[in-house]
Amino acid sequence: MLDAGRHPNIKILAYSEVQGLEGKAGDFTVQYLKKARYIKEEVCTACGACAEKCPIKADNDFEMGLKKRKAIYIYFPQGIPAVYTIDPEHCPMILKGKCGLCAKLCQAGAIDYEQKDEKKTLHVGAVIVATGVTQFDPSVVTEYGYGRIKNVITGLEYERLISASGPTKGHLYRPSDEKLAKRVAYIQCVGSRSLKYKDYCSSVCCMYAIKDAMLAREHDEEAESYIFYSDFRVMGKRYQQYRLRGAEDYGIKYIRGRVAEIIEDAEGNPVLWYEDTRTRQVKSLTVDMVVLCSAAVPSKGVEQLAEVLGIELTPNRFVKTDPFHPTDTTVPGIFVCGFCQNPKDIAESVSQASGAASRAAGLLGITSSGKRTVA
Amino acid sequence: MGSKDVLVIGGGIAGIQAAFDLAEMGVAAYLLERKPSIGGVMAQLDKTFPTNDCAI
Repeated sequence: MLDAGRHPNIKILAYSEVQGLEGKAGDFTVQYLKKARYIKEEVCTACGACAEKCPIKADNDFEMGLKKRKAIYIYFPQGIPAVYTIDPEHCPMILKGKCGLCAKLCQAGAIDYEQKDEKKTLHVGAVIVATGVTQFDPSVVTEYGYGRIKNVITGLEYERLISASGPTKGHLYRPSDEKLAKRVAYIQCVGSRSLKYKDYCSSVCCMYAIKDAMLAREHDEEAESYIFYSDFRVMGKRYQQYRLRGAEDYGIKYIRGRVAEIIEDAEGNPVLWYEDTRTRQVKSLTVDMVVLCSAAVPSKGVEQLAEVLGIELTPNRFVKTDPFHPTDTTVPGIFVCGFCQNPKDIAESVSQASGAASRAAGLLGITSSGKRTVA
Repeated sequence: MGSKDVLVIGGGIAGIQAAFDLAEMGVAAYLLERKPSIGGVMAQLDKTFPTNDCAI
């Protein structure tokens, strides 16, 4: 991310959305909207004096709502570009012309409440779609109690909890009473591989649940982890060994069986009822916290973008490709990579990204800058 | 008039890698992101499998 931010050949257009596309491969004209940050990007030094005193709080999306941020905020501390943004839905100055504190505090003079969204145009030869992934809202899987039982959280929420830079500084304080969660259960295939919700495998959950459980043990040697799975799908390089290491070195307990229901006891502990398909017994397990590995789905807004670009999507809203051209969309000159094409992990996303970049370069007749000729 | 520049839509790990590869080939890459900064979901992850290295 840092390398991309510094590269002289990359121009980052953050806080922007594509609105129109005309032309054909080799010669596209793209209209996009650069949203107003109400901050002069080239002037802001990201000192943070504004946010420190801003009196308005709003949910922090980056922290999955587990923490609040101010109405003037930086998306995340290491974010690029390193500039603040004013949230127009919460800032009283934007909403009703009252406050103006941040402009008084900003020594650089970067605040501009009058800034407007700008419509801009780009001329490019090729487009690569890499719109990524988000997590399926598991509250519709009512038997698991997400949104109703406080100590049932999602995989992405767990990532923020276990992160040293997250809302709890890496301590697994469970949501109901901020007690340290020692016993954690991870449930696979929540909404995925399901005829009711998403019929595909999200492909990353088996591995990230093992990772999550390893991290819990690294943070706390008394941590106990239980992963409920249908079957393990750990097909990448050295992934199977990782799974074995999870059990041998980190004491993770793998339980084969889908959880039928989660209920809450009087202390707020989730109680899982399940069939252990190895012993063919119906059992229950009481834990401090449950992590739902809910289906990974294409990012919101992919339909609108597909319409703008004229590319086709699959019924599950992934960008349509054919098996032998996995980086080509249905429109020549528009390529695709990453999760928006099909569920995949980081290693595969990066590899497909290089493929898409090569396809685009090939179309434009660009070879590697180190010129070589065949004798 | 054609163009040799490329627009990458989405500033997560895939978009960053695609833009970076193109940039290394000498192509001008525009990396467009809807959120206030690039990084995507990967920036939200604590560590990544199978090496348990930091995501950022």
